Amino acid sequence: MTSIPWNREAAAHLLRRAGFGGTPSEIDALSARGLEGAVSLLVDYDTVDTAAYDAALAAKTYNLATTRGIQQWFLDRMANSPRPLEEKMTYFWNLHWTSGISKVKGVTLMLNQNKTARQAAVGRFDDLVVKMSQDPAMLVWLDNWLNRAAQPNENYAREVMELFTLGIGNYSQSDVTALARALTGWTVQNYTKADNYNGATFVNNPAVHDNGSKTLLGQVGNWNGADAINILLSRTDARGSVSGRFIGGKLWRFFVYDDPPDFIVDQLAAVWVSSGRVVREVLRAIFTSPEFYEPHARKTWVRTPVEYSVASVRMLEGTSDFSSPAASLAGMSQSLFDPEDAKGWDWGLSWMNTGTVFNRSTFTNSLASNRGSTGTRFDPNRVLAGRDASTAEKAVDIVADRLNLADAPPSTRQAWIDYMNTNDAGQRVAWTNTAANIDKKVRGLVHLMLTSPYFQFA
Amino acid sequence: MSFSRRDFLLRSAGFVTVSAMEPKWSAAGTRGIEADEADAAASGRTLVILELMGGNDGLNTVIPYADSKYGQLRSRIGIPTNTVLPLDANLGLHPKMTGLKALWDAHRVAVVENVGYPNSSLSHFASRDIWHTADPSLVEHRGWLGRWADATLAGNGNPLSCTAISSSLPRTLLADNVQVPSFLTLATYSYQTDGAATGDRNNQVNTFLKQSSQEYELPTPQDTVGQLGEDAIASSNVLQTVGSGYVAAGTYPANSLGSALLLIAQIVNANVGARILYATYGGFDNHAAEDQAHDPLVQNVSDSIKAFFDDLDGHGKSHDVLLMTWSEFGRRVQDNASNGTDHGTSAPHFVVGDAVNAGIYGKPPNLSALDSNGNLLVENDFRSYYGTILADWLKADSAAILGAGWPNLGFLNKQYA
Repeated sequence: MTSIPWNREAAAHLLRRAGFGGTPSEIDALSARGLEGAVSLLVDYDTVDTAAYDAALAAKTYNLATTRGIQQWFLDRMANSPRPLEEKMTYFWNLHWTSGISKVKGVTLMLNQNKTARQAAVGRFDDLVVKMSQDPAMLVWLDNWLNRAAQPNENYAREVMELFTLGIGNYSQSDVTALARALTGWTVQNYTKADNYNGATFVNNPAVHDNGSKTLLGQVGNWNGADAINILLSRTDARGSVSGRFIGGKLWRFFVYDDPPDFIVDQLAAVWVSSGRVVREVLRAIFTSPEFYEPHARKTWVRTPVEYSVASVRMLEGTSDFSSPAASLAGMSQSLFDPEDAKGWDWGLSWMNTGTVFNRSTFTNSLASNRGSTGTRFDPNRVLAGRDASTAEKAVDIVADRLNLADAPPSTRQAWIDYMNTNDAGQRVAWTNTAANIDKKVRGLVHLMLTSPYFQFA
Repeated sequence: MSFSRRDFLLRSAGFVTVSAMEPKWSAAGTRGIEADEADAAASGRTLVILELMGGNDGLNTVIPYADSKYGQLRSRIGIPTNTVLPLDANLGLHPKMTGLKALWDAHRVAVVENVGYPNSSLSHFASRDIWHTADPSLVEHRGWLGRWADATLAGNGNPLSCTAISSSLPRTLLADNVQVPSFLTLATYSYQTDGAATGDRNNQVNTFLKQSSQEYELPTPQDTVGQLGEDAIASSNVLQTVGSGYVAAGTYPANSLGSALLLIAQIVNANVGARILYATYGGFDNHAAEDQAHDPLVQNVSDSIKAFFDDLDGHGKSHDVLLMTWSEFGRRVQDNASNGTDHGTSAPHFVVGDAVNAGIYGKPPNLSALDSNGNLLVENDFRSYYGTILADWLKADSAAILGAGWPNLGFLNKQYA
């Protein structure tokens, strides 16, 4: 096995991917643990106590009866939870098991789906599939609540194979029909306008279940939903576990890079099988693989709008009620809990267009220039604290290190230095770290760095 | 194409480097990037799309006033038939739509009746996706005009080929290879900087451009994003000035739709090579109290379209502009006990411009032959509606975009030049 050069940059990379970016002290602490210890701290997060954070979050009284409120609540968790990978995986499942308030309508249902995904985020995948298949928001979102023996609805059955477990090409239309029949009876009760659709709960209604024999992926029997899910996840072909390749490959694309070579996907699928389909073990394999630390794995993931907002606040050790980030997400094309369609959002450069470039900039400008005592803000003096920022070069390097931009090209670093050394009249005046200069130029520099092409990538 | 991305950047560069704040782009100054005369006539044409969000009540927009069933089924919110603005012996416009009626009288309006798609979904969500993608099976991720843009505009370098006056990108314009700026107001389509350090703004904008324009030997994803940053500043600089010194030749209503169509007229007049301009106007989901809510909505639509064409006429620009409306569905024929209407199916839509063969396309809605939900049957498939515009206005291969077999509805003049 290739040895992995474990150092501060590697730790920062791990925190950007397995979390939402680290502060200098977090990076130092993680770096000191060594590779295995660092990965274990992130992956085996059950050992990290969250009591203090849970209490702090509860004290913030976000209005969880509104879409905005649950957006703020989730953003706060992503920015502030002491278990960054727990939130990153909850976010991954939020993208994977897409559901949207536009159709589900019940805000509580969307919140509960998020909590369910978090609770089952890195455990046995089978449990997550069952929980999501019985989740009221998902039952409404993909219509399985309407799926009855007498009137089958194939929407969820198709998507659970295509989008959630196997991938297109690994099943036929007759499998969709069979799976839909197996899933009849998994429905909701109390889904009514009277309480704004918030009171729905899962119910297994045997009266509408199809008890006939079904042939699913070649296996014949009177399958119910749980049987059928086991058949899907146990599916193998000549290459190995189909679900292992599908989920392992998707996790790799999310955490590392696009188009993983076959040998990597097969390795992950092997871990999937040997661990009994435990997601945590696939993650450990990813974060301890040499390929994860290769140069071309770094700074290639386009930060999603959620990740961009959260990383901006978190890496600056900013303060936020997450109202501005939540409100800004729509303009960046990612209304959290309200995706465009059942496929959810595409990843990568599709996030970026001229409009979203500006809307990212508008958000980070409000963060960088907020001198008030409420809302989303950061303290430029805290960013420089304890460091020698007496010249433009030094100040630029401190802020660049803070935002993991020390690897930006020299010409970009020079543009930042020139910015610091230019006065309002456009004349060159050497920057000094006076309070007034810090308040103007460090705020401006932070905004520039957050809007630079390099910070769009984690 | 008439100009490249590099040309665009160069032409907007004059005020980027001098001052990103001072609008220096005057109407006269834009003539340099007018389409070359060598371009085919269609490449100078602009299509304006007006989306009526929420499901506009077609039966209270183009009223089948000669059908006695209308008054029976619309006993609560029916438009008094003696007040409608007759288009022919069967159909008349809502009495508040005097502006559109004036355009009709000038033979500039085609009314396409009973437009919808098979097996109508009564969900806003599904129905909007279907209209946006022109794919009832919901497999296609791109919009129908996004597919046109990918085939026609990709690589032309003009960041203003398509623009949406909308809070987010309308999926109609979702393309794989064409960037579409979308914004509700121009104030948000700019690189905003520290409001407490306005003297530093030029430094910040210029540094943003510098960090966006690094040269690389090999293309990197960062380079792609940097190019977007440059395009964003260049297009913003153009857009921020289109209203400078602009004198509207029409009276726009003081609401979001009036503002959007004014901005669209300004973009048309700025000669920036805009091919598709998109506006959304919401509020049409009138399940209750439609008798109060719907009148101002259709009046605003009518007045705004009239003001828009007055404005284009006054600037000599209407020749190359066509406007079309759409909405995700019409509404239930029978009004409900809340003085509103529930989700329906097909509805009439308007196509406005000098290129239309003015008239009504389709039969009056048949109020005696409804589906099991009490909704109208579809007469004209929406792909025929789209396809006619693709073929005869944009001069595109509509079958390649929509599939073959959708009859041309004939509401556009094929010889228009």
